[in-house]
Amino acid sequence: MSMTGKRGVALRLEGVSKTFGTHTAVRCLSLEVPAGAIYGFIGPNGSGKTTTLRMILHIVLPDAGVVEVLGARGTRSANDRLGYLPEERGLYRKMSVRRVLAYQAALKGMGCAAARESIDHWLGRMGLAAWADHKVEALSKGMAQKIQFIAAVVAKPELLILDEPFSGLDPVNLDVLREAILDLARQGTTILFSTHDMAMAEQMCDFIFMIHKGRKVLDGTLTAIQSQHGADRVRVRVEGGAAALHGLEGAQVIRDLGQMQELHCAGDPQELLRALVARARVHQFEISKPSLHDIFVSIARPDSAEGGHA
Amino acid sequence: MRKVWCVAATEYQTAVRSKAFIMGLLALPLMIGLSIGLQALAKRQTDLNDRRFVVVDRTGVLYPRIEARAQQRNEFLKQMGTNGSPRPAFVPEAYAPVDDARAEAILSDRIRKKQIAAFLIIGRDVVEPKAGADAALAYHAQAQTFNELPDWLGQVLNEEIHRLRYVQAGVDPALLQRLGQQVPVRRLGLATVDPTGRLIPAKEESRAAALVLPMGAMLLLYMLIMSAAPALLNTVLEEKMQKISEVLIATVSPFRLMLGKLLGCVMVSMSLGVLYLGAALYMLSRHDMLDRVPPHFFAWFLLFQVLGLLMYGSVFSAIGASCNELKDAQNLMLPVMLLIMIPFFVWLPIAESPNSPFARWISLFPPATPSLMMLRIAIAPGPPLWEILLGLALTLAFTLCCVWAGGKVFRIGILSQGQSPTLGRLLRWIAAK
Repeated sequence: MSMTGKRGVALRLEGVSKTFGTHTAVRCLSLEVPAGAIYGFIGPNGSGKTTTLRMILHIVLPDAGVVEVLGARGTRSANDRLGYLPEERGLYRKMSVRRVLAYQAALKGMGCAAARESIDHWLGRMGLAAWADHKVEALSKGMAQKIQFIAAVVAKPELLILDEPFSGLDPVNLDVLREAILDLARQGTTILFSTHDMAMAEQMCDFIFMIHKGRKVLDGTLTAIQSQHGADRVRVRVEGGAAALHGLEGAQVIRDLGQMQELHCAGDPQELLRALVARARVHQFEISKPSLHDIFVSIARPDSAEGGHA
Repeated sequence: MRKVWCVAATEYQTAVRSKAFIMGLLALPLMIGLSIGLQALAKRQTDLNDRRFVVVDRTGVLYPRIEARAQQRNEFLKQMGTNGSPRPAFVPEAYAPVDDARAEAILSDRIRKKQIAAFLIIGRDVVEPKAGADAALAYHAQAQTFNELPDWLGQVLNEEIHRLRYVQAGVDPALLQRLGQQVPVRRLGLATVDPTGRLIPAKEESRAAALVLPMGAMLLLYMLIMSAAPALLNTVLEEKMQKISEVLIATVSPFRLMLGKLLGCVMVSMSLGVLYLGAALYMLSRHDMLDRVPPHFFAWFLLFQVLGLLMYGSVFSAIGASCNELKDAQNLMLPVMLLIMIPFFVWLPIAESPNSPFARWISLFPPATPSLMMLRIAIAPGPPLWEILLGLALTLAFTLCCVWAGGKVFRIGILSQGQSPTLGRLLRWIAAK
């Protein structure tokens, strides 16, 4: 389907940096997004996500490094094959829904007939066909958000960049949008997807990429990331609760979840289990993988030692 | 270029479908109609209450003449009825004793009590003025805004005083009036000779008619620029405030986006221009004034219109892009509006002497060139061609600078948030790579 870069890479960043005044927003960032993948882009507020997305879109230019999008290195020539849904959304309030979408399609170089067909298809799919000739100002917030999504995909982009696509949506609309995104991915669209919803990222993304203080701190499949960050984690449910774990050799309580406790195990988990059984009655013992949420928090919390390193 | 056209077409369609465009279309005829209608209405709404006034006539001979002339005037107004503009009647009253030292205070008090509108003290020696004599006409009123009464009194009394002086000098006033009769000056244009050698006499001209075309050209150009260029500020600011800009510049480069908007603005203004110029041509031909329009007038008009739109449009776009709220934009608009208004401050002396050194240099100042050069072109024989071309070149260069600087401010400003624009910051954005 798509004309992508070398070895089926839709997006490549090589040593990209950007500084605003004295503040370095992005430091020597490298990334390769395979064509057809859903790539989750996470990071705390102010970590450099928006700047990175803007560099990918050539809205801002990097001070150093190379941005290659759909095979185009350092130029905007591939921008017509990109779709973009920014975090801060807006539409022309006085225009009709159809005119807004037709304008976006025309800017991307789509012909009138193809645009009309695509607009009708997406409006129908999102349940907004009856609103095509209404002014945007007449739409509810959720409807406007879906129109904004259609504006991003109406021209059939090869790479779709979504910045917090689900924020503010009710569960029904959230499901509609998620299904639409997954369908696009199934049809071969590469999706770069920025979110603060870790559960959604875990469910939808083939790869996760995390940026913190302008540096890359995570990049890989969820399984690989969990293996790197969570092999030493154990969840237990014992009689006596957290008090029964006090002073346990080779282990340290990370979190007290009430009925369960999460431990950091420095040595062999089997040794830990034996020590526990000797102390108290064990109801549950689970060598667990950390959730993406946990990994995120462990990296991004202010006292984190991991946060500053790639 | 496709994207520039796409933006321009959308801007154009949005503008011409808006109520503001319809209002803009009707604004000029509406303003002219309203101004004529209101003036006519105001004339009919004049306060027609009698203007009572008191005369302290220390000469002892002038009051009867004032009374007679006031009566004549009032009779004449009565006969005129509703033909012509209705005016109030003047009702004089003599004051006695004329030497009363307190007359001024007493009559001032009557004015305060609204019993009379004014009073006049005629000096004892006005007919035979001598050094240090009491030879003044002192008109007193609470508000000196009503001119008709003092003007009439001045005219009537001076005529009477002259007549008395002639009689005292033994000269027949009727003879003097006949000998001193004014000879009117006829104002004519230029005579021409047709191809058969026959002389075509010059036509009668009037100052007002001669000013119609240059003033109309300048006003129309100003209106066509102002009907489209400031709207760019609003659309850019709206896109920024509504968070539309980011999606747009992810698809179109900021400079192309601004060019598209400028092109759309030119198209909107041209559409209005075609309608107005068509209407103006029709009116000129109906009043047999078409021959007053110099050749090439429309070509110059078109060129200066486009340059004016690009120049001010780029400045307004840049202001819109650099601001986050309307209040900031209004502050930045003030100096630009002052530049735009320059032609209105200087147009009259330029219309009177279109080729004076002042007219020449100020019409070469690019922000004022479009309007002032059109004003000069519309007054025959127009400025020398080299001046028009120099004005055009300077304006073109200035316009390119505005578009370039506006583009740089637009590129950075469109994504900036939370910073109020200052001149220093705008200059830094212009200087940025």
